[in-house]
Amino acid sequence: MSNDLVIDGLSKSFSSSSAPVLNNVNLALESGSCTAVLGPSGSGKSTLLRAVAGLEAPDAGRIVLHGTDLARVSPEHRGMAMVSQRPLLFPHLNVLDNVAFAATVRGVRRRAARTDAAHFLDLVQLEGYGRRPVTAISGGQAQRVAIARALAARPAILLLDEPFSALDPQLRSTMHELLVQLRERLAPTILMVTHDREEAAAVADRVALLSRGRLLQHDRVDLLYSRPVSLEVHRLMGGTNEITGTVRDGVHYSALGDLGLPADTGWPDGPGVLVIRQESISIQDNTRSSAEYGVPGIVTDIRVLGPRRLVTVDASGIRLQTEAPWGRPLGAGDAVRLTIPVSARALVPGQPDPGGPTTADTATAVISTGR
Amino acid sequence: MAVTLPPGPRTPWTPPRGDGSALRISRTPGRVGRTLLALALAVWFLLPLAPLGLWLFADRWSYPAALPEAWGLDGVRSALAQGAGPAFARSLGLGLAVSAVATPLGALAARALAYHRVPFPAAVNAVLFAPLALPAFAAAFGLNVLLLRLQVPPLAGVILILSVYALPYTTYTMRVAYGSHDLGFEEEARTLGATRWQVLARVHLPLLAPALARSAFLAFLIGWSDYLITLLVGGGAFITVPMLVASAASGTGNDSVVAVLSVTAVLPPLILLLGLGFFARKPPGGLS
Repeated sequence: MSNDLVIDGLSKSFSSSSAPVLNNVNLALESGSCTAVLGPSGSGKSTLLRAVAGLEAPDAGRIVLHGTDLARVSPEHRGMAMVSQRPLLFPHLNVLDNVAFAATVRGVRRRAARTDAAHFLDLVQLEGYGRRPVTAISGGQAQRVAIARALAARPAILLLDEPFSALDPQLRSTMHELLVQLRERLAPTILMVTHDREEAAAVADRVALLSRGRLLQHDRVDLLYSRPVSLEVHRLMGGTNEITGTVRDGVHYSALGDLGLPADTGWPDGPGVLVIRQESISIQDNTRSSAEYGVPGIVTDIRVLGPRRLVTVDASGIRLQTEAPWGRPLGAGDAVRLTIPVSARALVPGQPDPGGPTTADTATAVISTGR
Repeated sequence: MAVTLPPGPRTPWTPPRGDGSALRISRTPGRVGRTLLALALAVWFLLPLAPLGLWLFADRWSYPAALPEAWGLDGVRSALAQGAGPAFARSLGLGLAVSAVATPLGALAARALAYHRVPFPAAVNAVLFAPLALPAFAAAFGLNVLLLRLQVPPLAGVILILSVYALPYTTYTMRVAYGSHDLGFEEEARTLGATRWQVLARVHLPLLAPALARSAFLAFLIGWSDYLITLLVGGGAFITVPMLVASAASGTGNDSVVAVLSVTAVLPPLILLLGLGFFARKPPGGLS
């Protein structure tokens, strides 16, 4: 599949900040794909989107669309359309004329532009809303109109800048579903900025994780969770379990014991940090039948996470966290065994810093889970 | 000591009645006071217009008669004979010219100030607002000499100086508007394919139209109602409605003429003000 958009070595600094907002970012978007740029506040993700749209001039690097360098191309000629967190519907136009805006500025006759706009309003399930003033529709409807307006511009790349972050969780889920449906019908190439891991996972094929202006990892959503390339990625993706040890012949040796690593990857021998997603660890009673499986430990803390509980277990002096469903009675001081599937184990270089490797709220505070 | 406790499970909290914030709930004494004040203000504004309205159609009205003793249109005929028609046209032209110059200049200055595109904004602000502090006579007298030496035509000089006097009003009005104007609309329009000029015509101007109309109205008032600068810089050759009013009012026995000319002076701004109020109430999303 060909690349629609290539971002090559993009850098950008602002005079108000000493550190660069974007630092040598490289990214390629496949045609028809949806890539989520995920990162904490101030990581440079919105600046990246604005640079692609032509609203910010990069200090260095290139943005190439279908083989054309966009350096000297003005925003209106880039073939992009952007939907922001605020719908930014033109208040002096009604819903239909907002959607018809791109066509009318291209010189399409008003009647034809409106007919076309009505088609896109149907696509976002707002048929019959065309004649309403934009002040007479709800926040969710306004965001649908904004998406219809952007799609009606037939953009080469659809840019979404945290488009659903101002909506309530239920409405957000509906909008995710709508976006999935639109992708199935129109297959637009989408570059979406979000700070919500779950949103990225719900709508995107690939995630580009950005932190302090640097691209940390650009990968499939599942690999970003299960095969982080660094501790920072693991933490930013909400991972809480980091075990220092040594690798030899595909086996990680630590205070937890000998834990084999997945055979699908060649793991380098030497020191390494084993990272395990807390959702992948299952918790069992320390009964005689399960005595030969898993890692023994003592429950030290339980925190409620809505439909699940975050259980902290002391296993041979190592603090592990696991998410457990409700149902089984659990309390601090209970002896349990933890089962860690081989596929859930991954190795990253480096040493966990003592300040915050396994505190659940360190990473979750940085990138919202969307819960 | 009595202590007020927050509502607990046994004392359910009841929300205040009425729409909107509880802070806006009106109590009876306040409501009565506001109504009386509004009535007093209305009387204060409207009462002087009553004798003016009567004088329009009064051929004779001597003290101590409560109402005119002879009705007629002598005042209108006299005003027309004194050149009220051409003076009205000149005043209208002057107001429109000042509005046409000062409104776009004020908008440009306000945009630059709002988006911090000018160095030393405090100094620029001070210069822009200086005409408000400077006595009109002093400015007009000094500038008149300068304009004469530069051989600037009197009418152009009048428009130029009045536009400078209108600038603080237009700049301030537009500065407030730009303060709440969201550039995101313009960026959105650009990414949707609109050129700079299309953004100006189809997004920027429609969004700022109410503020531009207010600004143009204020500038029009400066040109329409000026007396001193028109007299000094115009050299007395450019007769406008305020000059006719002043001339008639300075004599005796011209009450009906003064009334006609005064109403002539009041009507255009009043019509513009009503128009402004009407268009400002137009619901959004109605243009297409």
